[in-house]
Parts: sequence; structure tokens; C-alpha cells
Amino acid sequence: MNPETAILWAAAVATLGVYTILYRENPISRLFEHIFVGLSAGYLIVFIWAQNLEGKWWNPMIHERKWYWVFAPIIGLLFYFIYSRRFLWLARLVMGLFFGTAAGYFFREFFPIYSPQVYACFKPLRADATIGWADVILHNWLFAIILLTVMSYFFFSIPHEGRFGRTLGRSALLGRWFLMIAFGAMFGNTVMARISLFIGRVQFLLNEWLGSFLPWFAQRGP
Amino acid sequence: MTERATGFWERFQQIPRYYIYLLLAAVVIWQILFPMPLPIAPSRATQGVYDAIAAVPDDKLILISTDWDASTQAETGPQTEALIHACLQNHKRFAIMNLQPPMGVKLANDIAERVAAEYGAEYGVDWCNWGYKYGFDNVLIAMAKNIPKTIGDDFYGDPVTDLPMMKGVQDISSIGLVIEITGLAAITEYWIGLIQGVYGTPFASAYTAVMAPGYYPFLDSDQMKGMLVGAKGAAEMEVLVHRPARATVIMNVQSWAHVLIIVLIIVGNLGYLFARTRGRQRA
Repeated sequence: MNPETAILWAAAVATLGVYTILYRENPISRLFEHIFVGLSAGYLIVFIWAQNLEGKWWNPMIHERKWYWVFAPIIGLLFYFIYSRRFLWLARLVMGLFFGTAAGYFFREFFPIYSPQVYACFKPLRADATIGWADVILHNWLFAIILLTVMSYFFFSIPHEGRFGRTLGRSALLGRWFLMIAFGAMFGNTVMARISLFIGRVQFLLNEWLGSFLPWFAQRGP
Repeated sequence: MTERATGFWERFQQIPRYYIYLLLAAVVIWQILFPMPLPIAPSRATQGVYDAIAAVPDDKLILISTDWDASTQAETGPQTEALIHACLQNHKRFAIMNLQPPMGVKLANDIAERVAAEYGAEYGVDWCNWGYKYGFDNVLIAMAKNIPKTIGDDFYGDPVTDLPMMKGVQDISSIGLVIEITGLAAITEYWIGLIQGVYGTPFASAYTAVMAPGYYPFLDSDQMKGMLVGAKGAAEMEVLVHRPARATVIMNVQSWAHVLIIVLIIVGNLGYLFARTRGRQRA
């Protein structure tokens, strides 16, 4: 058996093995789950070494005599003092460094990510030379109504009593309906994604695996 | 424990899941083996990605960040393939890279090698692979200022500075478009927060269908030039590059699978409505 055929058969057996979960929890699907997790972890370690650590850390430290790189893993290993009551403060030092860096990055990223979306909420509500009434009503008015009603749904400070409160309550109810429609669309997309993955596996089993020894199946492929 | 259905309509609400799985598998196998093709029309979001690729100046690179792995390959694999076709048909040079998970860079490399061979495109001249670079925001911040130093070696372990297409590539201004292909949330936020939003580098994306709805606001605010949504987006891109392939088959099968699911939802709800009406009459 050549390596290509062996890989094909291994992939087919693994696919069928994992799908046995559809019948019920069983040792075969568990076995293939563990194999997948182990393979992924091993692959990650090799790739982190080969594509990152070797070129960025090991080679400069060993071959270019940049000796100070030796401190990088020492600092990293300080994390393990989380298991020592006496030296926990050393772990906290590096954790604090990471928290501070992450907070700084997040602060830096926040405005470029969200401010354009806030600007984009301000849409013209009257027709002009660039946009007709049909577009204004179908897109911009609808957008504005959904935006305001959904925001009112998340406004919890005023009880839905009295004249203003009841109006707010009706708006919040409408907002909830819009949210439900959005969740429905998201759920539809999730169904589409899951079925796509299933179709991808069935395509593999029929066109590639069965097709490798029954050419008729290969001919039915894309 | 679920109460056992006794009436005709009650049974409609409790169809055993094995029957549903078998029905779905039967529809999928039937449509893969005996397809009844349905038309696919590119959406504005997909057209936006294609137009963004075509608009990249010749002296700039397209950077394709292939942050996906085998678990989403049915969607992201065809997306990657169709996007590489679009790059090569428009005579644009592109670089692949990967932030996470590392499997994506190998899978994308295999696709790029195969597609590039069809166009006679040469590694290092028309396309290259910068490999898996660990570090998310650190990588992007450093790359924005100095690409060769940040990337270092390519996927094969050779210095990127040795590649002919990397001559003159200095910083993020050498990149004409970033395309993010992923099944992971949050990586887009790094690209937009640290690259697109700061340096104005055009950005487009290709997502699994699960995560795509969460990113429509980015499309609406013009932070993204376009977006491929799951296998549907890949199939639409295949239409635009005139290369019907795997995603086109997937979407055709998908449409029939959706018909089955809609029928099952209607049947389940009819069962519920009739059972409730009958229950009220009895009461």
C-alpha cells in the first residue's frame, strides 16, 4: 500500500469512527477523538518550534551569540510558581506583565474597531441626490427603527409603567422581536455551517475514498 | 424522561433522531451522486471581495491570512481555493500567512501549490508562504513596521528576503489588501484594530457560516471591503472566477438538505399545533 492510499484509508476510517457518535457514546468515537486531540497537540508543538522558536529564539541565542535570549524561557517558567505559596509573587509578576500588555492592546484596538461602527449608525433619513426615498425607507429608516428599539430593550433603568414607561415597554418588545429574528438568522447560518461540514465529509468518503477503488464514485465528484 | 408519544400528531414531534440523521445522509448522498444543480448568484458581499482583489495596485501584495484548520475545511478550504484563483486570474501576487491554528498554513499551502501550477505561477515570484507566526497582536504590530524582520523565514525555512517577490517589501504599506480566512472569532478584531483601522490597509474576509453574522456590522461600516460567508460565499466566488468546484457542489447539496430541514420543521410544528388543539378540545 503506498502512503497516499494509507492516508486516504486512515482518513476514511477516522471519519467513520468519529461519526459512530451519532448512534451513541462509544469507545470507537472516543478513540478517534483522542487521536485527533493528540495529533493536534503534537502538530502545534512541532510547528511552534519549527516556524517560530527555532528561527526567532534558538538560532539567535546559539548561532548569533545573542545570549540574553536565555532569559526568555526563564521569565516564562516563572508562571509555574503559581503552585508554590512561598514564591507565588514571582508568578504574579509575569501575570501582571501579561495583563497590563493585554489591557494596553485592547485599549489600542477598541477605538479603531468600534468607532467606525458608531459613525455608520448615523444614516441620512431624507432622500437626496445620492439616495432615493425607496432606499432611505427600506434601508436607513428600517435600520434606525431596529437600532433604537433594540437599544431600548437593553434599557433597564425605567420601569415600564406610566405613559413614557409603557411606550418604552412597547419599543422594548419590538426590539425583542427584532433580536429574535437576528438570532433566527444566526441559527440558520449555524445549520448551514454544520451541514456544509457534513457534506464535506460525505464528499470525501464518496468521491475520494470510495472513488479510489470504485471509479464511478470518483466521476461523480466536482 | 420524555413521555412516550401516543397520538398521531404527538409522534410528529418526537421523530427519533436516527431517522432524521438517516434522512439527511440520504439527501446528501443522493445529491452528491445525482446532482440537480440550482443557480448560484454572487452577493454584494462576495462581489466586494472580488473587486477588492482586482483593485490592488500591481506593486503591492495581497496578504491571505489562513487561520483555519481541518475542522472547518469544508467551508474554508474552498474559500481559500477560490480566492487564490481570483488573485492569480487578476495577476496579483499574494503571500499566505497564519496566526492560529497552525494546521491552516500547511493546508493552504497544498491548495496554493495545486492552483498555482494551473496558472504556471512560481513560488517566490508570484506567491509565497510566510508560515505560521505565533503571537497574534505582537506579530501584527511588528509586521506593520517591518515585514521581513518580523516574518524572518518562510514556510520552508528559507529567509523571506531571498524571495524575488519580497524585494522592496518593507512594511504594511507594501500590502494592498489583507484577506482573513477563518473559523475563529477575534482574529478579525486584531486585523481591524491594529492594521486596517490604524494604517487604512484594505481588509476583506472569509468566514465560516456560524461566525459570519457577527461580522456584518464591519461590512456595513466599510471596515471590510467584502465577506465570503461559509460555503455559500466560496460557491459565489467560484462563480466569479468561472471555476465551479467543491463549494458549488456543497451549496447544491446544501439547498436540498435545507428543503428537508424546512419540511421537518413544518412537520414538527404542525404536530405541535394539532396536538395542542386536540388537547384543548379534550379539556
